[in-house]
Amino acid sequence: MSNSILSVKSLKKRFGGLEAVNVDSFELYEGEITSLIGPNGAGKTTFFDLITRFQSADSGSIFLNEKNVTKLNSYKLARLGMVRTFQLTRVFDRMSVYENMKFAGSSIKNEGFLKSLIQTKTLKQQEDHLNVKIDETLKLLNLIEMKDSYARELSGGQKKLLELGRSLMKNPKILLLDEPLAGVNPKLSEELLEIILNLNSQGINILMVEHNIDAVMKISKRVVVMAEGKIISDGKPDFVRSDQKVIEAYLGSSDD
Amino acid sequence: MNKYFTAFIILVLSFFYIFFSNDSGGGRVFVNLLTFAGIYGLAAIGINVHFGWTGLLNFGHAAFMGIGAYTTVLLIPHSLGREGVVISTGLPLPLAIILGLIASALLGLLLGLPTLRLRGDYLAIVTIAAAEIFRLLVRDFEDLTGGVYGIIQFSDSLQNSRPDFITQFSENYNISSAQLWVGLLTWFSIVFVLIILARLKKSPWGRALRAVREDEDAVRALGKNAVLLKLQSFMLGAAIGGLSGIFLVFNYGTVQASTFVPVLTFYVWAALILGGVGSLGGPALGAVIFWVIIAGTDTISRFLFESPDGQQLAGVRFVIVGLLIMFCMIFKPSGILGDKEELLLDVK
Repeated sequence: MSNSILSVKSLKKRFGGLEAVNVDSFELYEGEITSLIGPNGAGKTTFFDLITRFQSADSGSIFLNEKNVTKLNSYKLARLGMVRTFQLTRVFDRMSVYENMKFAGSSIKNEGFLKSLIQTKTLKQQEDHLNVKIDETLKLLNLIEMKDSYARELSGGQKKLLELGRSLMKNPKILLLDEPLAGVNPKLSEELLEIILNLNSQGINILMVEHNIDAVMKISKRVVVMAEGKIISDGKPDFVRSDQKVIEAYLGSSDD
Repeated sequence: MNKYFTAFIILVLSFFYIFFSNDSGGGRVFVNLLTFAGIYGLAAIGINVHFGWTGLLNFGHAAFMGIGAYTTVLLIPHSLGREGVVISTGLPLPLAIILGLIASALLGLLLGLPTLRLRGDYLAIVTIAAAEIFRLLVRDFEDLTGGVYGIIQFSDSLQNSRPDFITQFSENYNISSAQLWVGLLTWFSIVFVLIILARLKKSPWGRALRAVREDEDAVRALGKNAVLLKLQSFMLGAAIGGLSGIFLVFNYGTVQASTFVPVLTFYVWAALILGGVGSLGGPALGAVIFWVIIAGTDTISRFLFESPDGQQLAGVRFVIVGLLIMFCMIFKPSGILGDKEELLLDVK
């Protein structure tokens, strides 16, 4: 089995009386597309929030490349190469598609107040240098024609693409996609899946939450099923599909 | 109609009005108006960095203006309080001004550190409260600030630097030379500040602020420290507010606890909204319009009352400013120089 790059141990989060997440152990292995599925309210997004540190876990620990990141700030975690998208797309509405991309790609140093005030030659060169990658990525995502439009003028599906493109500007090692196909039409879904497979073959590890089971089964190497905060099944798509516990979680227990 | 053309027409009409509606020397009123407009404009530019660029709600601008002004004035020669205790030694004015700006920025840091991690509304509440606390502290620490009696005789530090030709010019046209000097320096500062801000707005830093305004979580997800960016923006806007406060007290020639009342903050907001949130020059234009209205209320009051007293004038003033902002919100919600895109302004 290949190396584990993200490892989670006994992660717990409660909201009042509700145990939202209670994951004993979760590993993300190098080079795979892993999907996280489960009924509504299973705690998938909360789990995402916990491992990206957008929410703090009550207990447990998170390791990224064997480094303990349990207490790290979310933005520092992103700098280490774990970049996420959101279930409800978050694009910068009143910035152009191009600016959205450029902000994502721009280095933190160049965004320093003094550096921006002085504006050295190297800053300008580095900023201009981004344009190549922006064009490349926008072409990949079929967004190049919308480059100068405001992000809020995009359709829902295109916003999903832009959010993905923005994440790619960070050269992520791990990409966490929260429902990348939600609200995307079937044709665009196909394209998106194609893109996701393509990214994976370039060495980006992908963990995604998705409700479209067909798509999940098609592209994932591994499927993890959550229900009521716990991981109830974990394995190859075929195994998960026929797992009795998964069927029960989706269709309701047969005891009822 | 082009918005710059609209702005131009409004400016021309305003100047026309100022010169020909006053029988008591157009020049004097003109300088008075432009000086106040410049001061309020500079303050509004500070709030624009907070609200227009970063989406931060600051309702305590008077405190930032005040702390800058008090710091500067207390560091230069001045007289203090009821007895008028003379303190004849002090720092050179430029140094005192720089320290004043630093004091404003530090107050921004102090208020921002605990609140900028929270939702936007908390900052609004904290700044309102801080402005009142500041004013009451200034009133009660009479030994340091002169309290309600305030500080006087500090203007010389600035007026000594006034070139002779300005004094000469003022005498020829029956203008207050001291006020002309403050007014000119204010408008020079506006130009200087706007040049710097134009540079920053286009820079990666300015872009990052806009991203923070749009969506803080997305900013964090992309590995950027949103709190740090907000803090920097907050301190920069506070320092610009401090500069306007310094000019305000030099324009009055005195400073008391009542100089920095909450209504000052809201007048500055009115100027910002009239001019256009988010645009570079909008706040300054809005301040000019605001002060023309303030001056114009005198004329209108004469139609309403035979000989209006101060209270009636103030009443008419509030009504007209309020009406104008209402009209502005209905017909041109983005302000005169504002961008249509600013309409969706939401606070994070």
